Amino acid sequence: MNRRTTYLRVGQLGFGAVSLGVILFAWWQVTANGIVSEFLLPAPAAVFEAAQRLSAGYLGSSLTAHLVASLSVVLSGYIAAVLIGVPLGILMAWSRPVDIAMGPLVAILRPIPPPAWIPLAILWFGIDLPGKTFIVFVSSITPCLINAYVAIKEVPANLINAARMLGAGNASLLFRVAIPAGLPMIANGLRIALGSAWATVVAAELVVATAGFGFVIMSGYRNIESDIMAAGMIAVAVTGFIMNLLFREVEKRVIPWAEHE
Amino acid sequence: MERAGVGIIEADLVMDAGPCERDIRSAARGNGIRFQNVSMSFGGNRGGHPTLAVDDFSLEVAENEFLVIVGPSGCGKSTLLAMAGGLTQPTTGRLSLGDEPIVKPGPDKAIVFQTFSLFPWMTVIDNIEFGMRLNGVSPAERQRRIDYYLPIIGLKGFEDHYPKQLSGGMQQRVAIARCLVLRPRLLLMDEPFAALDAQNRTVMQEELVRVWSAHRPTVIFVTHSVEEAVFLADRIVVMTRRPGRIKDVIDVRDTTGAQHWRAAPLDQVMRRSDFQDLRGRVWDLIRDEIVIE
Amino acid sequence: MAGVAAWILVWWGVVSVFKVPPEFLPSPWQVAKKILWLAANDIGEGKLWLHLGWSLLRFLSGFMLAMALGVPLGLLMGHFRPAREMLNPLFEMLRNVPPIAWAPFSLLWFGASFGSQAFVIFVAAFPPILMNTQQGVRLTDKGLISAARMLGAGSFTLLFEIGLPAAAPAVIAGLRIGLANGWLALVGAEIIAGPGALTGLGFLVLVGQQNLQATITIGAMALIGIIGASLDYALCRLEASVARGA
Ligand SMILES: Nc1ncnc2c1ncn2[C@@H]1O[C@H](COP(=O)(O)OP(=O)(O)OP(=O)(O)O)[C@@H](O)[C@H]1O
Ligand SMILES: [Mg+2]
Repeated sequence: MNRRTTYLRVGQLGFGAVSLGVILFAWWQVTANGIVSEFLLPAPAAVFEAAQRLSAGYLGSSLTAHLVASLSVVLSGYIAAVLIGVPLGILMAWSRPVDIAMGPLVAILRPIPPPAWIPLAILWFGIDLPGKTFIVFVSSITPCLINAYVAIKEVPANLINAARMLGAGNASLLFRVAIPAGLPMIANGLRIALGSAWATVVAAELVVATAGFGFVIMSGYRNIESDIMAAGMIAVAVTGFIMNLLFREVEKRVIPWAEHE
Repeated sequence: MERAGVGIIEADLVMDAGPCERDIRSAARGNGIRFQNVSMSFGGNRGGHPTLAVDDFSLEVAENEFLVIVGPSGCGKSTLLAMAGGLTQPTTGRLSLGDEPIVKPGPDKAIVFQTFSLFPWMTVIDNIEFGMRLNGVSPAERQRRIDYYLPIIGLKGFEDHYPKQLSGGMQQRVAIARCLVLRPRLLLMDEPFAALDAQNRTVMQEELVRVWSAHRPTVIFVTHSVEEAVFLADRIVVMTRRPGRIKDVIDVRDTTGAQHWRAAPLDQVMRRSDFQDLRGRVWDLIRDEIVIE
Repeated sequence: MAGVAAWILVWWGVVSVFKVPPEFLPSPWQVAKKILWLAANDIGEGKLWLHLGWSLLRFLSGFMLAMALGVPLGLLMGHFRPAREMLNPLFEMLRNVPPIAWAPFSLLWFGASFGSQAFVIFVAAFPPILMNTQQGVRLTDKGLISAARMLGAGSFTLLFEIGLPAAAPAVIAGLRIGLANGWLALVGAEIIAGPGALTGLGFLVLVGQQNLQATITIGAMALIGIIGASLDYALCRLEASVARGA
């Protein structure tokens, strides 16, 4: 990085810090002067205090227990979606009969937003881990499948031709050319799916749960503790942010040849 | 990169003394390619009428010959190469390599694509090695061939780079190397140097002559540069505008005699008046075919 | 289309061959009948039309608001660097909160009947509209801008005569993403606010589950899917016609 871009970076960070400072200050002033009631908008200090209460343990679960409750659902549903969605997408892109058979099913199910599955999942699987896992599965399989499908469909013809010229058979074409070529796009789908899984588990916990961050926020609402609600939202945001960050790090290691943002 | 100052015969001796002397070609006889009344039309999809890209193209290219095709844009040069490589089949007519018909692509008919077409997830080494792996070349032999070609293409020290970390010229050299390591019977090159700047292009032309001379696969080379054609070719095929037919075939050897121009550096050859004359002749033939649509 | 019909037949076949209880998975025929029943009978606060109307009203209000704020703000941020650098860190931070997580606060602020859902839709649809507009303006061909400058265009002419038309495809792409996000959020918000509102398609989905009537739940899900797909299709057409014009 040269001098000039360093200055630019510092300048941008400065700008960002100033604007965030202004927002925090405005938030503080609005609540401190009673312009907005604390029931509607908690003061920054109250949120900080609520975050401490949350991390000490809230409604029978420690912070870790809430985190584990949310994450275990995310991981089980997400992994199932990846294991089924990616191979199915690849297969549909590679084999016309599979595409003709499965394509319409995907077309029927895709437009139904994941939250709409929440009641049905409860009806079918109950409110515990299986039900929520199913919802997360439904929400994250779509990006996995669609991206894998498009990734394989759009492998540049020149790469396929080059491989055929070098003597690749059908299996080599799929496993040693098409799949590696599509990997950046597949990874992108997996990242979107992870975000979608996280948003969906929070939504499901808002509807019905006994632990998890969504449950914390909803309990805050029911008990008129807006500071807990805000602390819960921050916990959701931070966890989501960290998951995304970890994913990108792994992606950079696993796919070093791709253009990363 | 070192200058290719040696004549073909000399080069042959030098190269054949190298570690790769046994190759597929010396076993197989008859690596000439024959186009018999080949036509290709592309189906008019969605109600458009079909395009006749190549029309009744007949030609025999001798074993070890360096054939160059020139012609206006869209006259079907790439289509011809794709058919020769077995990537597509002609609508009518037949192609054969030696005495076998060409029905599918394979490592005996190597293609250097205009758009390099390297595999972005493979390093330089992996790209060069991939074809050999697919064809069951033993690890020791793979290593030998890589050790032989890597210095020739001037990419020693770049073994573990990904294509995106290489310049256009370097990428094209990898694309050529991955074909040469396969010891193809037929080497098809589609405007391989079009993306290079003038200096790189000259160097690459001379390098190509040098590595080609070692094993002399039959070559069909497509270019837009008349100068490149006259410098490299044994024979030049000039094509008409679409639908592509043969307009004229010029045997460069009639002018040069036994000592081919490509054996000497390009800048020397370019000053010769017979070179200039031939270039003018080919250029006149092409000029008639160029229409601005 | 034939494939879609085939899968519906498969569904039907599975339900009748294995005698699946309708509380668990009804047949397509039962679902279709239920939708007609909903059109004629009250559930919650009214008939199907009322629920449909409320959902569309909430959706359009939230989406229009997102568009009305997102496009101009995006233009501004794309065009004026200080605006961009002041505001982007804020949006980068807020982006980590899934829109649906705003539902409880939104209930607190705007009540269960209308505002809470509209606000969540706004929160979901706003970021893609804003970001795409901003990107579209920023990536406007530099040559185009200098050419206009040379011809004497001022900053505002530049924005409205060059920036906006050139950014139009990106803006519409943003609207499409915003639309999908908003529709998703609508259903989530209606389910979360459900018992408080007694209206909306999301409420129907919920009420079916609470009364162990999978027919209502699945019927409402089908309507939600069909409307979402049609909205997306409409914007797709718009996108194509703009792309052709550009
Ligand atoms: N896959 C295809 N489908 C339809 N038409 C094609 C296809 N490939 C080539 N054509 C048509 O066939 C004609 C010849 O194309 P080709 O690529 O062989 O030309 P070319 O001589 O290589 O041109 P250039 O010098 O520009 O590379 C063109 O008119 C082109 O439009
Ligand atoms: Mg071509």
